[in-house]
Amino acid sequence: MKITDFPLRGICCGTIAPAMKSWAFLALMALLSIPSCRKPPAEVVVTETRAHTSKDVAPKLFATSDQRFRDAKPSPVKAETPEGWLAVPATQMRLLNYRFGESGLGEVWVSVSSGSVLDNVNRWLGQFSATKLDAKGLSELRSVPIAGESGVWVESEGDYAGGMGAPARPGYALAGVVADLGGRILTVKMVGPKAEVATAKTTLESYAKSLTIAQ
Amino acid sequence: MSVPDQTSSKAPVSIGRRIFDWLSGFGLATSLLLLLGILTWLATLEQRDSGLYATLNKYFDWKSLYILPEINGKMVPIPLPGGYWVCALLTVNLALGGILRIRKGLKQIPNIISHSGIIILLVGGGVTHHFSERGNLAVGEGETSNVAEDYFEYVVEATEVIDNKPMVIHVIRGKQIDDLNDKVRLFKFPDLPFDLEIAGYLENAQPIATTERAPDNGELISDGYYLQSKPGEKNAEANTAACYARVVERDGTKGGPIILAGASFHPFTLRHGDRIFTLDMRKRLWVMPFDLTLNKFTAEFYDGTSRPKKFVSQVTRTENNLKADATIQMNEPLRYEGLTFFQASYGPPGAGPGQKLYSVFEVVKNPADKWPEYSLWVVVVGLLLQFVLKLVLFIISRFSHEKSA
Repeated sequence: MKITDFPLRGICCGTIAPAMKSWAFLALMALLSIPSCRKPPAEVVVTETRAHTSKDVAPKLFATSDQRFRDAKPSPVKAETPEGWLAVPATQMRLLNYRFGESGLGEVWVSVSSGSVLDNVNRWLGQFSATKLDAKGLSELRSVPIAGESGVWVESEGDYAGGMGAPARPGYALAGVVADLGGRILTVKMVGPKAEVATAKTTLESYAKSLTIAQ
Repeated sequence: MSVPDQTSSKAPVSIGRRIFDWLSGFGLATSLLLLLGILTWLATLEQRDSGLYATLNKYFDWKSLYILPEINGKMVPIPLPGGYWVCALLTVNLALGGILRIRKGLKQIPNIISHSGIIILLVGGGVTHHFSERGNLAVGEGETSNVAEDYFEYVVEATEVIDNKPMVIHVIRGKQIDDLNDKVRLFKFPDLPFDLEIAGYLENAQPIATTERAPDNGELISDGYYLQSKPGEKNAEANTAACYARVVERDGTKGGPIILAGASFHPFTLRHGDRIFTLDMRKRLWVMPFDLTLNKFTAEFYDGTSRPKKFVSQVTRTENNLKADATIQMNEPLRYEGLTFFQASYGPPGAGPGQKLYSVFEVVKNPADKWPEYSLWVVVVGLLLQFVLKLVLFIISRFSHEKSA
């Protein structure tokens, strides 16, 4: 049986002459590969629309770039940025957010947290594999002013493993304040290379004292 | 008496016939099947490093005429034909060789049926490749959803907002913008008072504040942010596309650059005169023809592990005020109106006791959903006929042999 025994039809032009059948087939295959060579259009008229869905809630209008890309909420605490620190955009977890130190690795941030003061202190110590405190140990921590109230001063150093699964960073140190402000836990945390944290500790303590609660 | 020259008396074989013989030949079929085996093996190795989606695209997308495999991250400089085209050629080969060229007769009918079954399978693969859609629908216990989100496609949406409610939502599809890494394209909205110019599309990118990190490569800055390109994620669903857009007025004047990013929490708001519009980039939403309510979700795990044993979602489908209850669990999807809902996962991750759960369904719209099953039945019928025919012919020949003896 020959190929010429089978009628091969074009898309809209009836039966193709037998001698042309195999060539027509090859031409068809070649045509199929042409779309990838088409020049992309410089202009497109948008005609597609979609129906409303259960996901189409009232949009947040006039969101700032920080709100659009970091979901930053207006901070309930305010402070002036200390000299030498760099204010960076807030995030969901960091109400106020800074970088410090020559290495660019030093970080300071202010958060409102859940749990108790002891829970938060021990969570921080756990990030440095330090011995956790009990109530007595907590009461022995130095008391420092923060936002018109008082909190406890926490320090630690060693390998810092607070990076959500990131490898531990050796040679790091922690300094910070944890306070219970009427049931809300306010934390000011500084983490960075040991030497840079040692230098910036005084500034951190002044900074915590200068925090004010927004009305 | 001279012996006639047989070669000279034989009619010359035309080029068309030679091509037909090659296309329908057993040799080509064997080579293509071997190639498919090799491609599948190489793709299996490569997907460990490159991720499943990227590897499937590289090896089996219709745009891949040829591929250069990679083993352990190193390119092997041996070009191989793309899997799509190998399958396409195999389909042609089976159609020509296994159906047209095959000797016709009663004995060949089972063969033809079996070949037809495999052709259905291959064509079904092509239909799935070109026309199927996949997404996920997440719904919490006691909640109702009518929308699935595409796994991979990012679109740009523009809509007017009146009384804090979105009006008609205009959609620029992913295929219209995903080539705009180094190109610019104007998108005209006949129903809106402005157009959009889009450029700088990145498949996976993060908006970075200039105060966090200064741009390395002179990236365009918009309101203190720029787009930092990231390598594609192994799990391609986790990619967050982004692009730059400019509002183009009807008189041709252009506004400043706007960042539209999949990794954003809120849309960009545009005030145009006294009207308000939002521009957003998000994964494409497709609306289901019915509402799905999750009544109850239960998850069971193998003892002492996080390996899932059983996920069960009890749902109610509501369409035109008619309700129908259904259960969706692993390997028991819900099929309705051309859509298939597979139990995919649940959340939130690490949920504690008493915490409200949500169930995630993979939603598949595939016109060729059942074709593999049909193909299987056709092949089974073909093979069954083949065996029965052989058996009958054997018994007949044995019987006539004994009779003659």
